[in-house]
Amino acid sequence: MAATTGLESFVDQIISVITNDGRNIVGLLKGFDQATNIILDESHERVFSTKEGVQQLVLGLYIIRGDNIGVIGELDEELDASLDFSKLRAHPLKPVMH
Amino acid sequence: MLPLSLLKTAQGHPMLVELKNGETYNGHLVNCDTWMNIHLREVICTSKDGDRFWRMPECYIRGNTIKYLRVPDEVIDKVQEEKTRTDRKPPGVGRGRGRGMDDGGARGRGRGASMAKMSGNRGAGRGRG
Amino acid sequence: MLFFSYFKDLVGQEVTVELKNDLAIRGTLHSVDQYLNIKLENTRVVDQDKYPHMLSVRNCFIRGSVVRYVQLPPDGVDVDLLHDAARREARGG
Repeated sequence: MAATTGLESFVDQIISVITNDGRNIVGLLKGFDQATNIILDESHERVFSTKEGVQQLVLGLYIIRGDNIGVIGELDEELDASLDFSKLRAHPLKPVMH
Repeated sequence: MLPLSLLKTAQGHPMLVELKNGETYNGHLVNCDTWMNIHLREVICTSKDGDRFWRMPECYIRGNTIKYLRVPDEVIDKVQEEKTRTDRKPPGVGRGRGRGMDDGGARGRGRGASMAKMSGNRGAGRGRG
Repeated sequence: MLFFSYFKDLVGQEVTVELKNDLAIRGTLHSVDQYLNIKLENTRVVDQDKYPHMLSVRNCFIRGSVVRYVQLPPDGVDVDLLHDAARREARGG
C-alpha cells in the first residue's frame, strides 16, 4: 500500500490541481517531492464563473508549492472530453481557510 | 523529476514568482536553495491588484512565502536528473513536532509577507499602469 | 501515529472528506500517509451542481493540511480498540 501512497501513479498523467486560493490548474504532472511541491507542464487554468462558460488560460511550465495545494485529481481524459465547458457555470471555489 | 531540480536548472532564466500575498516578481533567477529561497536579479514587482509596479536591481524571496513559479518551457528539457539522490527530502520536512502527526505542511508563520528588499536604491522606481 | 494507524485500517471503505474550502468529496479510501494526506478512488463531489470543478476526476490525492472532516462509515469505529490505542498513546507508546 505504502508504495502507491504518494503521487507516483499520477506522474506523466494529466492532473487537475485545486489550489488553496481557489484556482483550478490542469496540466501534465512531471514531478513532485515530499512537501507536495509539483512540476506541471503544459498547464492551463480553468476559470469558472456564473456569467459565462469556463475560460481556459494558458500558463505553461509551473512549479506549484505544496503549501498552496489542496487537491490533486487524475483527469479522466475521455470523461473530460465529453464535457461541454462552454455551458458549465459555477462560482469560483472559495479559498482554503485554515 | 524533483521540483527543486527544475528550479536549480532555471538559474539564469527569467521567471515569474507569485507569493501567497498575491504580489508577483518577474526577474532572472540567480540562485536558489533547498528551502526554495530564491535570489532574483533585474526584478519587477507587481502589487496584488496589478496596479502598482516597482523595479529593483535584485531581491531575495523566502521560499515559504511562494505560491508558485512560472518558468520558461524549455527549462524542463535542460534538467539533468542527479543519479546520487542521497536525500530526496527537502530539509525540515517530516521532522520536528511529534511523531509524524505534523499537518503535512503549512509550516512557518506569517502571511506570505514579501521578504523582498530593495538592495540600495539604484534603479528602484515606482510606476503606475 | 494513532490517527495514521486508524485511517490505515479504514482503507477500502467509503468516506466523505470535507475540505477547508467547503468542498466535500466522497470516495473509496485508497491510502493514507504520515501527513494524513488521503487518496480516494471512484470519487464524486457531494454537491456536483454547485461544484462542477472536479467532474472528470475519478481518483484524487487530498493534502492532509486542507482536510476539515472525514466522515466515516457508521461501523467504521471500534470504540474499544480506539480507547485502548488512545490510552497507549497517552502513556507514550
